[in-house]
Amino acid sequence: METSATRSWATRREGKLRRMAQVEPWLKGKVLPAGRIVEALEALLVSGDKVVVESIQKQADFLSRSLAQVNPEKLHDLHIIIAAIARPDHLALFEQGIAKKVDFSFAGPQSLRVAQMVEDGQMEVGAIHTYVELSARMFVDLIPNAVLVCAEAADPEGNLYTGANTEDTPAVIEAAAFRDGIVIVQVNQLVEKLPRVDIPAGWVDIIVEADRPFAREPIQTRDPAQIKELQILTAMMVIRGIYERHQVLSLNHGVGFDTAAVELLLPTYGEKLGLKGKICRHWTLNPQPTLIPAIESGWVESVHSFGNEDGMEQYIAARPDIFFTGRDGSLRSNRVFCQLAGHYAIDLFIGSTLQIDPEGNSSTVTRGRIAGFGGAPNLGSDAHGRRHSSPAWLSTITGDSPTVRGRKLVVQVVETFKAGGVPTFVESLDAIQLGKDAKMPVAPIMIYGDDVTHIVTEEGIAYLYKASSLDERRDAIAAIAGVTSVGRKADATRTTELRRKGLVAYPEDLGVRRSDAERSLLSARSMRDLVTWSGGLYRPPARFRSW
Amino acid sequence: MTTAAQLPEEVLALSARYSYIEMNARTRAGQLLDPGTFCELLGPFDRIESPWLPMQDIVPQSDDGCIVAKGTIDGKPAVAIALEGKFQGGSIGEVSGMKMATALALARQGCERGIPTRAVLSLESGGVRLQEANIGELVIAEICAELIALRQHVPVVVVVAGMTGCFGGMSLAAGLASYVVMTRQARLSMNGPEVIEQEAGIEELDARDRPLIWSICGGAQRHATGIADVLVEDDAAEIAQAVRALFKRGEPTHLRSAAHELYIERLAQLDPVQPWSAEQIREMWKDQTP
Repeated sequence: METSATRSWATRREGKLRRMAQVEPWLKGKVLPAGRIVEALEALLVSGDKVVVESIQKQADFLSRSLAQVNPEKLHDLHIIIAAIARPDHLALFEQGIAKKVDFSFAGPQSLRVAQMVEDGQMEVGAIHTYVELSARMFVDLIPNAVLVCAEAADPEGNLYTGANTEDTPAVIEAAAFRDGIVIVQVNQLVEKLPRVDIPAGWVDIIVEADRPFAREPIQTRDPAQIKELQILTAMMVIRGIYERHQVLSLNHGVGFDTAAVELLLPTYGEKLGLKGKICRHWTLNPQPTLIPAIESGWVESVHSFGNEDGMEQYIAARPDIFFTGRDGSLRSNRVFCQLAGHYAIDLFIGSTLQIDPEGNSSTVTRGRIAGFGGAPNLGSDAHGRRHSSPAWLSTITGDSPTVRGRKLVVQVVETFKAGGVPTFVESLDAIQLGKDAKMPVAPIMIYGDDVTHIVTEEGIAYLYKASSLDERRDAIAAIAGVTSVGRKADATRTTELRRKGLVAYPEDLGVRRSDAERSLLSARSMRDLVTWSGGLYRPPARFRSW
Repeated sequence: MTTAAQLPEEVLALSARYSYIEMNARTRAGQLLDPGTFCELLGPFDRIESPWLPMQDIVPQSDDGCIVAKGTIDGKPAVAIALEGKFQGGSIGEVSGMKMATALALARQGCERGIPTRAVLSLESGGVRLQEANIGELVIAEICAELIALRQHVPVVVVVAGMTGCFGGMSLAAGLASYVVMTRQARLSMNGPEVIEQEAGIEELDARDRPLIWSICGGAQRHATGIADVLVEDDAAEIAQAVRALFKRGEPTHLRSAAHELYIERLAQLDPVQPWSAEQIREMWKDQTP
């Protein structure tokens, strides 16, 4: 056995220096010529390494495309740590044997192929995480040997400007830079002077100018033209039955049309109810364009963001009182901090889902796909470590024990049937079967029933936090589940009792008239209306433009 | 605390606006006629459906996606014809096409009997319905013939609002109209972008490149190059007003379909190998009114 006298305590540092020495001749300062990147990756990485590939909204696509070109005989069996498996080149790493194992959070666009590759044994899944959970493990047992990340620009010293899409870059670099991992950054351009420094040069090892700007996705941009009247009805119920009733001041909205409808109803319906200033003041949310009318009407005090939404840059720069911005005016987003804020510091999370079971467990899994979790489970769960209170948090207290505590409001908003007549309420979640098929240790549940405080459908609202037993919870869910098999079990007498006790509310119980749910109630009905609201500052991405 | 914001006038105007694009064909037809005068001919309860769609496992619609309504415009007898873009892409089949052709014929007969009958068409159509293509093509020929006959007596106004757009056979109908009204969201073109991409390849035209597509056949470009006469906001009241104003204006000084020499000349000037930008086309064609 080695003694401390003979053992080296700096093997990681020595290894890094050894690897860096091989590429040193190609570097000018920290800058590597783009043409050398494949060779450099072969020299800097060793088979079996843990490698982070940056990818959620912004993707280090030049580096992932280059990694897919290395010789699998030289470099193989990498352990990839990636927030979102989004691109074909991410999968190519596994097809070619360059990578073997993966730890990830989300695989939405590639969910079908991921499931197939796992079944075929081409890809071995360590675990499927939430976003912030994966970031956390980078500091414990998934510490990377190298990270492949992206930034807008670098200066001659090697400082980085990550621009509006900062997202996960600081957290990922931190995990490598301070434990002798290698930090490799693709930048859109090299400049003399940066608008602001997001990452200091001392944390960066190699910079390479990419062949084209990094890929990015405006994942939370929703076109108001596609909001249906049913979604306007549920949005009205959400405002009256939840935001007004619980005095929700701080919140996160998921990526659905239902929540986009809520945002667009604040300046019209919300204004009529006299709720301005009383609800929805602080947001943890991407700068999504459907929030513009509420901001312009004076509803919103602050917005902290996970990432950017393309086209919002000029609008954000003109509204520094609302958004987190650098001195240069551009947005500063940060996914880890925003996820923490969404977990600990907000009154309410509201989001949609694909399936809900009779006890309120929900999942976005469909058979044959491994889609992962993303950020919803952290936002959509009670924070047991929370110790500060707010009116909304306290409003969920139903008992009178001396050690009673409040809860975050976790709201699921769905239509009882999805497009094509597929029921949202089901007896058993597809996730349970998928978990068995993919040999997962537990079923991949997105949000557990005991975390959900409210479910909203076009039928009404179930106030699940008031349920005193599992039976009562089931009955309340059945009462709003429409004509799905779950809903058909509802008993009329029992439902009347639940309405009387306040566990279930139908629109008429909330003072919401179904016939008022018209599109004319939306403060903006098209992308062009949003541009008008923004005074021409919002520039929708090409795919959202119809003019 | 938040303070009451002073909203600019353009923003306040949004809430007073009813979207024409969001209206279905029946509501559109009613919007174009004087209030209270809408009287539908061969409505859904007459159950005249396409006999061809069920044979191909497609559920037919009891109006076949074409609404024909009598009424008045500014008190003058009128017929409004509106195609429903949400049913089979507003395609022209035997029934929908024949409803349109016959309505135009009845208007012409009215004119011949001394009752001038105005015709306004709200077109949302991908063109002929492929499931009944031969009959569809024949009936489009009839529609075109009737349009030419009718416009001898009264102006014929075509409205293209979006979001389906106006393509194929119905773009010919728009070309034969006395006046064309468009929104920025509307598109008007002989071949739809998807068809061009399918036939000529994505190198020739990327149908998903929305700014490119609208810069070619969008309402603003069509108006700037003289293919459309009036450019309107997506506002039902503004569109109805524009239609009234055109009937008031009466016969156009020139018909686009009579100016084929000019269009042939325009096409001859273009080197198809060169990529032409929307701005270049506007610049080249701005001084040549047909």
